[in-house]
Amino acid sequence: MGVLVRAVLLCFVGSVLGIAGNALSPHPARLGIPVHASAESNGAACQDPRASVARVSVEEAKPLCIACTAAFVDARSAQEYAAGHITGAVHLAPGQPAGPLLPKLSAAPTVIVYDRDRDCAAADQIAVLLKSNGVRDVRVLTGAWPEWLAGGGPGESGTCSLCAEGRQ
Amino acid sequence: MMARVLAVCRVVLGALFIWAAVTKLPDMAAFAQDVANYQVIPAALVPIVAAAVVGIELLAGIALVIGVMDRPAAAVLAVLLAAFTALLAQALLRGIDLRCGCFGGDERASWWTVVRDLVMLAAAVAVARGPLPARTNVTNPA
Repeated sequence: MGVLVRAVLLCFVGSVLGIAGNALSPHPARLGIPVHASAESNGAACQDPRASVARVSVEEAKPLCIACTAAFVDARSAQEYAAGHITGAVHLAPGQPAGPLLPKLSAAPTVIVYDRDRDCAAADQIAVLLKSNGVRDVRVLTGAWPEWLAGGGPGESGTCSLCAEGRQ
Repeated sequence: MMARVLAVCRVVLGALFIWAAVTKLPDMAAFAQDVANYQVIPAALVPIVAAAVVGIELLAGIALVIGVMDRPAAAVLAVLLAAFTALLAQALLRGIDLRCGCFGGDERASWWTVVRDLVMLAAAVAVARGPLPARTNVTNPA
């Protein structure tokens, strides 16, 4: 049997082995789902599995909101927050001091940060700030506010009273 | 002497590819994302290509280390390394900032990774070709 034939055979057996290995992997690639480049896919950058801050999906975050077992942080502008935000969320945009909110956020078992854009840049910034201030379990909501709304997550409007108290 | 050098190349190359596959297996989703970020393979094919590459790396690596079907394995790895080198170079020339995806982890693609792949490519080609036939001394009958 020639080298070429054996090489083709090796590729075939290797491919089958790889697909089997993928099925056994703790984080398998989903074979039927297209994977787009981070730069091309809307929101894919936020869903990067190796991002420095852990991610949480809307489906995972909704029960935590309803059961009040997570604190939510809105990293959008104050106007956007007042127009509508996740029920119970506090407002903390990039550039604002986190100090006044730290006692509440540090006491929460999980803190979930979200922003307006699906690339999660502002949410990432706030999440890193909170982690550097000792908040332990901080996650960023993939899909951001638009996906929360689309997913029927609970929301409310109005200003952040807790934030106002803290900043006085 | 040449046969010994080739044997060392074969075992080291095999071990490197076993290592490359083993570091990717725990997070195949991340490796699929790395493959997608090269922006060459169609998105629908990325997961299956990623899975196949890891399996071929593992099997070819084992074949090289134990010395079974070593020349076909080296030929397959040479083709893979040529493809990796071309993919890396095109991404760098296009200014795409991405993780290499070579050995799992967060290693960034750079010209150093291209050079490393070229060195491994040379080793794979040498193993695939096998030892050159010994030169025979022909005495002049005159």
